[in-house]
Amino acid sequence: MSAMPGIVAINTFREAVRDRVLYNLVLFALMMIGAAILVGQISLGIERLVIINLGLSAISIFGLLMAVFIGVGLVYKEMEKRTLYTLLAKPIRRSEFLVGKYGGLLLTLVVNTAFMTLGLVAALYYVGRPFVSADAWIFVAIYFIVLEFALVTAIALFFSCFSSPMLSALFTLGIYVTGVFGTDIRDFGEFTKSPVLKVATRSLYYVIPNFHNFNVIGAVAHGEAIPVSLIWQNSLYAILYVTLVLVAASAVFSRRNMK
Amino acid sequence: MSRLRATGVPWAALAAIVMLFGLIAAMQARIDADARGFAVQKEELLLSSPTAIQKLSLGYDSLLADIYWTRAVQYYGSRLGPGKHNFDLLYPLLDVATTLDPKLIVAYRFGAIFLSEQVLGANRTDLAIKLVKRGIEANPDNWRLSGDLGFLYYWRMKDYSDSAAVYLDGSKKPGAPPWMKLMAARVAAMGGSIDTSRMIWSQVYESTQDPRIRKMALKELEELKAQDDEQHLDELAADYRKRFGRFPVSIEEMRKAGFLPQVPVDAEGYPYRLGADGKSRLDPRSPIVIEAPPKPPGASN
Repeated sequence: MSAMPGIVAINTFREAVRDRVLYNLVLFALMMIGAAILVGQISLGIERLVIINLGLSAISIFGLLMAVFIGVGLVYKEMEKRTLYTLLAKPIRRSEFLVGKYGGLLLTLVVNTAFMTLGLVAALYYVGRPFVSADAWIFVAIYFIVLEFALVTAIALFFSCFSSPMLSALFTLGIYVTGVFGTDIRDFGEFTKSPVLKVATRSLYYVIPNFHNFNVIGAVAHGEAIPVSLIWQNSLYAILYVTLVLVAASAVFSRRNMK
Repeated sequence: MSRLRATGVPWAALAAIVMLFGLIAAMQARIDADARGFAVQKEELLLSSPTAIQKLSLGYDSLLADIYWTRAVQYYGSRLGPGKHNFDLLYPLLDVATTLDPKLIVAYRFGAIFLSEQVLGANRTDLAIKLVKRGIEANPDNWRLSGDLGFLYYWRMKDYSDSAAVYLDGSKKPGAPPWMKLMAARVAAMGGSIDTSRMIWSQVYESTQDPRIRKMALKELEELKAQDDEQHLDELAADYRKRFGRFPVSIEEMRKAGFLPQVPVDAEGYPYRLGADGKSRLDPRSPIVIEAPPKPPGASN
């Protein structure tokens, strides 16, 4: 593979920074400061718990919204502005362009997450509790959140290859919500007496991206250890799923008539 | 000139915005004032099914649990003023919080205190027991929850056999302090005594850093001291009667007769009073409140 995807990725990242995407960090910082100061006044015995739960949930929500709403416009915007035609006239394959775009947005999300993590650590320090070894699991939870972003970004990019941003956002959010309810869908089939429905829901369970795999926020907030097996299993699951979606996106995008 | 106007501070627009905000706030105040007489908003939980809330949380259930626990604390705190309040939503709020995060120990422990308190709470020991039992089910290794359940059985329900069994069970859990076993033995042997209750509240006071819970434990300890003092004064008044054939008219009279070195005061510094029946009581100005003794198990409400 050439260096082209890297160049596209860097430019996508620069564009995101130019578009003031990282401004959400200000909101995150305000939220963490507010929570750190207020929770002790309005609640009881959960200062540290709230900081971790709120911090990780905010990192997840902000990142997911960015992944969806920026991801769905990645290809569409280039076509709208007609910059895509200039790009594709250069020696770059469409699949390389897609991988570059994907890498650029993921890089943006990782940088954004890194800053938010710093904010979370600072807020935890502020609430006045010495760090313990169990706090290290918070970083595993953040890693899982980044894996989630990687999946959502790939799905958003996939829809962006053939649909309008509005529809792509709806489809991506729909798949995300379905993925969160993955186990419920499977269990629903198990409860029915219909073997057809049982097979259908079980198949759907394996086909949709199971986002609940990545949710360990509650566990790490209570200082519980995350099994190492879950770390490599989730990593492999995300890599496989992202590869699948990017291959599908490339296939669609390569066949798309640009005229 | 037009360039200057474009880049300068738009004072007129700013003034208009400020003025409009002022008008909007005044309008809202007017609407609120009129609506007060028009309809009283009923306090209720929009969604009362903890499972449904858990599903709708889209994976952010632990954050939502914190929010519901904070709501429960606020709900309880807003009803601590004088007068009789209903605590109808307290258990549902705690139920939602602990379903969303079954490891939220603080909600079981302090929630049980809020529910079981007779004067400063919902006076629903049954619900407090239900909540703590759920906590033990979700956190079987937590000895503190067993301690709380043992206390509820002991002090609120006067159910000493269940209390002793729970304390004994808790004493076998990892990290359980030696006093749990001691409690099991004492409760089983002695039944309800002020000394035992004092020991438990002292444990609560010493084991928490939260100033509000410490304050509550301190209030309980003050109340126990008052109960202790009143019991002692009643005994002295009975002795006085034996010697003089009548009850003393005041505690000062008992002091003058040499029954007391000085007139005793409660933890808030108010002297005790003595009734014509020879029973001592707290000064009406004292903020200490002695709860009615708990009803034995099986007694009707």
